[in-house]
Amino acid sequence: MFRVMKFAAAAVIATGAMAGTQAFAADDVITLGAAVSLSGKYSTNGEHTQRGYDLAVQVINERGGVQVGDTTYMLEIKYYDDESTATRGAELAERLIQQDGVNFLLGPYSSGLTKAIAPVTEQHGVPMVEGNGASRSLFTSGYRYLFAVLSTSEQYLASAIDLAAERAADLGKAPNELTVALAFENDPFSQDVRAGVVEDAQRHGMQIVIDDKLPKELNDMATTLTRVRALQPDLLVVSGHARGAATAIRQIQEMRVDVPMLAMTHCDSAKIIKEFGDAAEYTLCASQWAPTLTYQDDLFGSAADYAALFEKTYDYAPPYQAAESSAAVMTFVDAFQRAGTLDRAAVRDALAATDMQTFYGNIRFDETGKNIAKPMVLYQVQNGAYVVVAPSEWAAADPVLPRPGWADR
Amino acid sequence: MNPQKMFLYGAIVLAGLAGPFIFPNNQVQMTELWLFIVFALTWDLVGGQMGYNSFGNVVFFGIGMYACAVVQIGLVYDVGEYTAAKGGGTAFIFDLAQYIWGFAIGLPVAAMLAALAACVLGSLVLGMRGHYFAICTLGLGIAAGEIAAGWDWIGAGSGMTPAPPPHDIDNVNRLFYYMAFALAVATFATIAWLLRTRFGLAINAIRDDEDKAEAMGMFTTRIKVTAWVIAATFLGAAGGIYGNLKRFIDPLDTAFSGATIGVWMVLMAILGGKGTLWGPVIGAIVFQVTKELFWTYLLGWQRVALGVLIVVIVVFFPEGIVGRVRQMFPERFGPRADAREGAE
Repeated sequence: MFRVMKFAAAAVIATGAMAGTQAFAADDVITLGAAVSLSGKYSTNGEHTQRGYDLAVQVINERGGVQVGDTTYMLEIKYYDDESTATRGAELAERLIQQDGVNFLLGPYSSGLTKAIAPVTEQHGVPMVEGNGASRSLFTSGYRYLFAVLSTSEQYLASAIDLAAERAADLGKAPNELTVALAFENDPFSQDVRAGVVEDAQRHGMQIVIDDKLPKELNDMATTLTRVRALQPDLLVVSGHARGAATAIRQIQEMRVDVPMLAMTHCDSAKIIKEFGDAAEYTLCASQWAPTLTYQDDLFGSAADYAALFEKTYDYAPPYQAAESSAAVMTFVDAFQRAGTLDRAAVRDALAATDMQTFYGNIRFDETGKNIAKPMVLYQVQNGAYVVVAPSEWAAADPVLPRPGWADR
Repeated sequence: MNPQKMFLYGAIVLAGLAGPFIFPNNQVQMTELWLFIVFALTWDLVGGQMGYNSFGNVVFFGIGMYACAVVQIGLVYDVGEYTAAKGGGTAFIFDLAQYIWGFAIGLPVAAMLAALAACVLGSLVLGMRGHYFAICTLGLGIAAGEIAAGWDWIGAGSGMTPAPPPHDIDNVNRLFYYMAFALAVATFATIAWLLRTRFGLAINAIRDDEDKAEAMGMFTTRIKVTAWVIAATFLGAAGGIYGNLKRFIDPLDTAFSGATIGVWMVLMAILGGKGTLWGPVIGAIVFQVTKELFWTYLLGWQRVALGVLIVVIVVFFPEGIVGRVRQMFPERFGPRADAREGAE
């Protein structure tokens, strides 16, 4: 029995030591906390997120850090791996705040994880700037400490639906004769994108002929594609993070499914051009950002400069997930400088008053904390490159509609 | 009960009560630890003491989690509207009385629904033995997760946010801590008592030789179902607390998380020593502490480290920590003749 007690005592001491050794707060360093998905189903995008954060921190520190009041601080990020699960994310947020004494959080990857973490940061009054949680429901919950630099989920594929309606004549139909097939992963983000697409399709009077929920860890959507081949919809819309995009492109090619328009999310984070080559051609892709946009800032320069720097550092073109993560760090830095203090509440108020242009786009938050100053763009894969085709303000080329059939390629 | 034991129990209860004041920053991890102890103890009742390795106990955990959340919300608002609005928001506010009543009714309902599920499922699957039972329960866990992920009323794949705590409670996690602590104490006391009764002897007899037990005139299936129902009752209540602690219920990651919590509960019991009273408790403590240390210091390799730990345990200490200690010091920790004093 005595040994049992000794063991219990050791366990308690170990827990205490854990809390003690972790607390660190150097005088001239601002530590931002982040739980990102370094393993699990979102690990691809988790890595893009982390690299986006790291690149911004690196560049800011090289430029001499952040001037807050009379002190210059270096930036540093304390990372944990949330393993792509909501439960773990909430635990880690709690730990970052309570044990590591972090006062400012950067967002995780995905809406589900952000949903799990937001109640924790809200309870502790810790500001969180995130670039990867787009679900609309995040901004109907009355969170005061949550700020998102990205466009929300219902806007993702709105321009694809509008494009279909505008160009219905090319498909030989009136807009309200178009049929739509939906295949969305069963997770908070994709389901919210779906809600937006359904609204837009109904507004144009389009008919939804397939409406499938796909499982998480998406590896196979052959059943849906078989039905697509049978029902021949005019537009197929797919959303399931990077895995969903890769699975769709691969199986559409394997099964030689012909559909006049194919629109999806997460093309660039799944690196579909690099991975699938010709099979990716003519795919329409929703994107938060494109290197060809004309935004710029003092830190990175233009969108194209950012893309070049990212590619030099990590050896691949930056997906928008990385760009918006870098923008989240810049938003914090801007707020620190304007607040002139590192008081949480003051930084929160400064964040709410943000109005700036970055290489990633304009950033201005409404009272719910979402960025209302930046639209989505729609790419099409043309000749092995992402080309912006909508909105017309930035369109670099006309979309190719309908997609040529597999027999004609 | 001898003085030494009284002292030990007293010390643990005192440590439990004082815990959040001594380590306020580790409150959530300690809350989780008490719940892990409940997971391991309830798994061991069926898996260790009765010899029925269940991989589906997470079903009762998930049912309890959803049941509690639905009751908490349903007492005040329409659940369908609440989930359609994707949880909470400024339109759904709970005051202190509503919140407390939500728990007062929600947790018993969670426990009862989980027990009911165990009763129904147990009658169906507890006729199976060995690998067949194990695989069948594994299937139950996966099926339950898929059903929850497709059911729009409880949020389907978009998940569900439990009732947001009112602003009058400034430290809601402390409330969760004491609920988890009380549940762990109640679970331990109940199982410790059960193992001293004829029921404890009966489930041990089923583990050792079920045919012989049946030949002796025992209604084995009825006893097995009862054991599973008891495990499910506590697990259901634990689910109710866990959902509120995490504040976001994902059907596959949080509620019916067979790959994490479902496996961990087995692991903790085996690590500590299955078929012993203290084994699951010690297993849960060791597991939670090492897990947190790995996640902190071995970033990126935490799962590998945990995997190595599991392999080491299974290869070198198949009997678990308590089993090993018993072998090494039989005169102090070995089974005693008077251990069954209440059995007659």
